[in-house]
Amino acid sequence: MDVLQSLLIPIIDLKLLGLIALGTFAGIYVGAIPGLSVTMAVSILISFTFSWEVYPALALMIGIYMGGVYGGSRTAILLNIPGAPAAIATALDGYPLAQKGLAGEAIGIVTVVSFIGGFIGILALALFAPLLADFAIRFQPRDYMLLAVLGILLVGSLSGDSLVKGIFAGALGIGLGSVGMDPLTYTERFTFGTDALRSGVSFVAVMIGMFGISEGLMQLHTVNTAAVKQKIGRIIPSWPLVRKHLPLGLQTSSIGTVIGALPGTGGDIAALIAYDHATRVTRNPEVPFGKGAIEGLVAPETANNAAVGGAFIPMLTLGIPGDAVTAIMIGALFIHGLNPGPMLMVEQPDMFWFIVSALGLANVFMLIFGLTGIKMFVKIVEMPRAMLLPVILLLSIVGAYAVSNSLADVYWMLGFGVFGYFLKLYGYPLGPVILGVILSRLLDDNWRRAIISDQESLWMLLKGTLASPLSLVLFVSVVLIFVSKTPLWGMIFRKKAG
Amino acid sequence: MQTTQPRRPGELVFTIIMVLGSLFLLWSAYGISGFEALSAPGAIPMVTAATMAICALMILRDTLRRSPVTGEKLERDILPMPVVVTIVMITAYALLLKPLGFVPTSFIFLTVMIRYLARCTFARAVLLSVVIVAVIYLVFRVVFTVLMPAGIVPEAEIIAWVSGLFAGEGN
Amino acid sequence: MLKSVIGAVVALGLGALPVLADYPEKEIQGIIQWGAGGSTDTVARAITPHAEAALGGNIVMQNVTGGVGAIGLNQVADAEADGYSILFGAENPLLYKVMKLGDKDYSDFVAINIIARGVPILVANVDAPFDTFPEMVEYVNANPRAVKFGSTGPGGLPSVVTAMINSKTPLDVTFVPYDGDGPALTALQGGAIDVMPAVLGAAIEGIKGGTMKPLALFDIEASPQLPDVPTIVSTNPEFEEMLPWGPFFGVFVKQGTPDDVVTKLTAAYAEAAKNPDFEALIDGRGFKMLSLSGAEADTFLSEWQATTSWLIHDAGLTKASPEEFGIAKP
Repeated sequence: MDVLQSLLIPIIDLKLLGLIALGTFAGIYVGAIPGLSVTMAVSILISFTFSWEVYPALALMIGIYMGGVYGGSRTAILLNIPGAPAAIATALDGYPLAQKGLAGEAIGIVTVVSFIGGFIGILALALFAPLLADFAIRFQPRDYMLLAVLGILLVGSLSGDSLVKGIFAGALGIGLGSVGMDPLTYTERFTFGTDALRSGVSFVAVMIGMFGISEGLMQLHTVNTAAVKQKIGRIIPSWPLVRKHLPLGLQTSSIGTVIGALPGTGGDIAALIAYDHATRVTRNPEVPFGKGAIEGLVAPETANNAAVGGAFIPMLTLGIPGDAVTAIMIGALFIHGLNPGPMLMVEQPDMFWFIVSALGLANVFMLIFGLTGIKMFVKIVEMPRAMLLPVILLLSIVGAYAVSNSLADVYWMLGFGVFGYFLKLYGYPLGPVILGVILSRLLDDNWRRAIISDQESLWMLLKGTLASPLSLVLFVSVVLIFVSKTPLWGMIFRKKAG
Repeated sequence: MQTTQPRRPGELVFTIIMVLGSLFLLWSAYGISGFEALSAPGAIPMVTAATMAICALMILRDTLRRSPVTGEKLERDILPMPVVVTIVMITAYALLLKPLGFVPTSFIFLTVMIRYLARCTFARAVLLSVVIVAVIYLVFRVVFTVLMPAGIVPEAEIIAWVSGLFAGEGN
Repeated sequence: MLKSVIGAVVALGLGALPVLADYPEKEIQGIIQWGAGGSTDTVARAITPHAEAALGGNIVMQNVTGGVGAIGLNQVADAEADGYSILFGAENPLLYKVMKLGDKDYSDFVAINIIARGVPILVANVDAPFDTFPEMVEYVNANPRAVKFGSTGPGGLPSVVTAMINSKTPLDVTFVPYDGDGPALTALQGGAIDVMPAVLGAAIEGIKGGTMKPLALFDIEASPQLPDVPTIVSTNPEFEEMLPWGPFFGVFVKQGTPDDVVTKLTAAYAEAAKNPDFEALIDGRGFKMLSLSGAEADTFLSEWQATTSWLIHDAGLTKASPEEFGIAKP
């Protein structure tokens, strides 16, 4: 009965309920505005809620977290500027939909599937937390490396017309991700002896530049043509539509939960892997991926919201953060006199159930707030471009600056904006660049750990991979996906030969 | 597939820059740790830079085979005036942000850009800019305490003064 | 336009007020040189609200990470020496010079408060075939390169503790690099590494929960939180000369900050460090409260720098000799 009691705490206490609602509402905007991140908001809340009790403080943070992960999709769909890295995959199909006048419908379906994803993640947390945590921490460096390779194979689906240009862009992204002082050995890489490059290139600055600024510059070509008139149709998706995508949504939710539970990977990687999964299992999408496929919205948005529940799994069972936000929450628990660790669930099971319940409520509020006011948001796209563009540009600059109060990031953003603009003009896809940046560290760090652990021997690494069931599954997936994409290779090379 | 598309203005130059850039990065990656070990910090950078260089060379070969597009001009289709003006304006913004401060710089940027792109009346551009800057300032500076460069406006003192009013005498 | 006019009017009004007497007259920017959720971050965010209360001002906390903390340090060093930028730092800057990570260290700053010191502990995977430090040494010698030690970058706690061990009993182990003790301890629990030198605070809950196994506490006396964990000195007394040693956290302002500002901040943080809630947090996480300032803090810093620089220099981890920077061998 203790469980039920703990679950009821946030529901019957109106103040807690209100705080969760407020947090979720604010979170949607934090997520939507590039440069404001959930990590940042939760850090600020630590100071803000310092003198509060622990439950209200957590209620607000959990609301922000849930709302923020969802909110990133808003600007991704409307403006092609993902509000957060986890919404990058959403922009790939969401923005084309908005360009067809279907922004409202896109936001509607995203809201509903985010709710479904969030729900699956919370369910997994409530029912299988110890089991999943045990599974997640068994991931070895080579498994993380294989996961990164799996993600990188997504370049194949993101490349559009030219695979060579896609691979070039992906490699560029991985290279960008390794700029700066290597955190493992403190070796300088691609810094050319300059101080400015030592801390690396801010990922958010690259993201805002490549998506926001380059898109803004592109639109200047047609600044005086009328904006796309949005169809005011059905916003809440019909049940048949939801049902049709439910099987995919459940699969990608599971992917999101597991990747969220892995320490060291979060919603951004979950969303990309899920998107890749969708491109493979969807036999005949009504609209091709990258041109406005509903499947391309369902997969990343279920996955990144499922990753929220997933990230709490190692945090609450072992005291190991599942991502950056849960890392800060662990700090918050310490400050409030709790000791998150393996004993938390034994000594304070009420905390576990309170968080489960608060997450569930935040998920419901996200659905409610997400579905209201869409028509107002959609109006943004209908504003005259000549008015809208300067505002987007200013917001991009401020966002890039806000990440670490650094003017250097503004120059990076501009530089990558202009570079991204030329890449777009000459037919290079930009998705793989961002993909590369996101996966760079995961790949590089874990490759080095794996090969060091196996005494610098590729043979031993292969032997280890084949001997572990988990590594073997990942390895086989990588090989299968790679081979399944080889016809594409064949086509290109035949064309070259002929 | 892309072989059918004609070459756009400036594309050849861009591709050559990509090739040279990739080769330079490859050289730079080699300089990180050479062929020291499979686990060296330079190993993955070398693989990625080599991949970039190979791809860039393939793209170059492809670009050379295609015929230049007819009817497109560099200054009209690749770098039209609004694009150049915008890039210059963002650069100016970055340069002026520290000395002038967030509020005046953003206000000038928005007014000039809206006036230039929308060609609306000056008063309307000013009005819009004031409202937008105020909203952004409120969200970033006041709610999220992102410390934007103050420049010539002593905003931190103003905020402290205003919150002092609310807090009453004490503090 | 209107805003700047108001600004100018208010500025004139403020100009008439005496400035120094009113410190702080606006928000103070607090730069944390490590990421959100880490030890430095948690300690900085836990002490600061108490200091704000004592100071009667507002401190806006921000994480400025990268370059082993050098980016955040340089940001404060480049700001005005007016007390409106304060640095929350760990021990790393004292090794920047010998590691060639930067040309500034705490000698360019005034220590407001050296808050607390961490205690290093050697922990192992629960399934590791050894339970104590001597058993580990024996096992490593019998199986060269088979044992995997977690490490972080050169100069970090694991590298210093490893250097200490190697100076007494050279070990032939494989070092697997991680970007912090958090990720490394996670890997330890999953079996990716066997042994990890970590700060007690990061390992304490895992040890209590039985997800990792303590081998030896690198201190002279046992920890009150884990009285059963043997100290390294109890099994290997030869380590005593290098101990106690540990990473620390502190609050700093730029050299040249007006004295009355330094006095005010020092008083505020000394007051904050006495807060019972904060003391409980420090104890609970296995840190040792120091709360040093003034000459005491300077002595602590220079001794720490001398010991550690020479230790890692002798282990061959440095890029320049401490002698170059006038750091005398202890």
